[in-house]
Amino acid sequence: MITIDALRYRQLAIDTLTIPPGITSVIGPNGSGKSTFLKLCAGIAEPESGKVLVDGASPRQTGIGYVNEFPDRNILFSTVKDELASPLRFRFTPCKETDRAVRACAETLGVGHLLGRQMQDLSGGEKVLVAFAAAIIGRPRVLVLDECDSHLDAGRCEWLEEALRASGAVYVIRCTQQMETAATSDQLLYLEKGRVLHAGTPAEVFSTLSDTSFYPLSWRWPA
Amino acid sequence: MEVAGLRLVLDHIAASRPSWSLAADGVFAPGIHLVSGDVGSGKSTLALMMAGLHTPGSGTVIREEIRSAMLSFQFPEFHVTGLSVAEECASWGLEPAIAIREAGIDVLPEAPALSLSRGELKRLHLACVFSREYDLLLLDEPFSSLDCPGKEQVSRQISGRSHGIIVIFTHEQSIFPAIDHIWEIAGGSLVDCGGMPEALVRWQYAPPLVRWLVAAGRIPESITPEGLREAACRIRG
Repeated sequence: MITIDALRYRQLAIDTLTIPPGITSVIGPNGSGKSTFLKLCAGIAEPESGKVLVDGASPRQTGIGYVNEFPDRNILFSTVKDELASPLRFRFTPCKETDRAVRACAETLGVGHLLGRQMQDLSGGEKVLVAFAAAIIGRPRVLVLDECDSHLDAGRCEWLEEALRASGAVYVIRCTQQMETAATSDQLLYLEKGRVLHAGTPAEVFSTLSDTSFYPLSWRWPA
Repeated sequence: MEVAGLRLVLDHIAASRPSWSLAADGVFAPGIHLVSGDVGSGKSTLALMMAGLHTPGSGTVIREEIRSAMLSFQFPEFHVTGLSVAEECASWGLEPAIAIREAGIDVLPEAPALSLSRGELKRLHLACVFSREYDLLLLDEPFSSLDCPGKEQVSRQISGRSHGIIVIFTHEQSIFPAIDHIWEIAGGSLVDCGGMPEALVRWQYAPPLVRWLVAAGRIPESITPEGLREAACRIRG
């Protein structure tokens, strides 16, 4: 379990929250603290007070894969190949093993044709796909995705769902503004003004949002 | 008031790089156009060529009677020129309080512009863009990072613009303005799906909700949330 206890960080205030394994989507208005929450879960930021623990350990002591909401802020290297290899190189994986893993990951995730490209020449969606590949190449225990789907077409979004399930990550925590996507998650958190107002299954959380535009459009339709 | 003869003509334009190419031929008349396409299909490159910021490898982009144009990049951070929210608004000639209110965000004018969340920055940027009138308005992924109320607000603002040619390049799945004409990039070419609602049956990679409606024979008159809901609730026969 990911447990959050008496958390205070900037605008965020969460007294107690438990996130079970599976895919957890975080939804809410712009500026509600979703990205800040994700950074705390990823260990990129540390609480001013309180705790975030992943199976009892700090996020910084846990294998984490993270994709920033600003696609360009994920980029460390100039080429796609180096970007994808970087998580393995940072942990001193042997070169041959890294090369094999990069090619296998790129082919599996459908970005093999991008390996020879410069990062700056990629489209927004391609940058996100490479960032996603770099986030999972090290097989992290926790995968944190900040609006990974905002630059992807419908087909790629469906593909991303399958890739998430196949990633091996025990916990996937992601922000999304696509409510149809959020509806397929195992858990849902609704944030507003730095507080978790609703947590539960998609059915439970969306039932509290039925008079808002967050309610999935297809759920309003007759079967 | 609409300018007579306002048109953007893509006269057999083409762009290419190793293992990728895009060809486009078509006429964009006043109204709201939607361009969809797969990741990396060339939507942003097409937007740059339409804006005159990228020269096609061949062919010509002809702007008939277009005297003002704006391209809103998909990344709002690319537009930021002011250090603070107030400076950013001022760079557009806007009073910060007015722009912040129009954006519907709760931020201080003295806050660093790049400290805003991406959704807040996108809303502020679009409020600045929408403060002016253009003969040609190109919006690259205007809905990315916006929350659902934000998408609905932006859709209403786009639908409410009465002047010029508006072209939206987007991956959005469910919340759209009142689109008049649909195009899509498929197989390296820009395909003219046509005007609404006939375009929906020719829209190969339509969002799942639209595909479901079309397959069920409930073709919506419009792909606004209201239009989709009306079609979904329509009693057949």
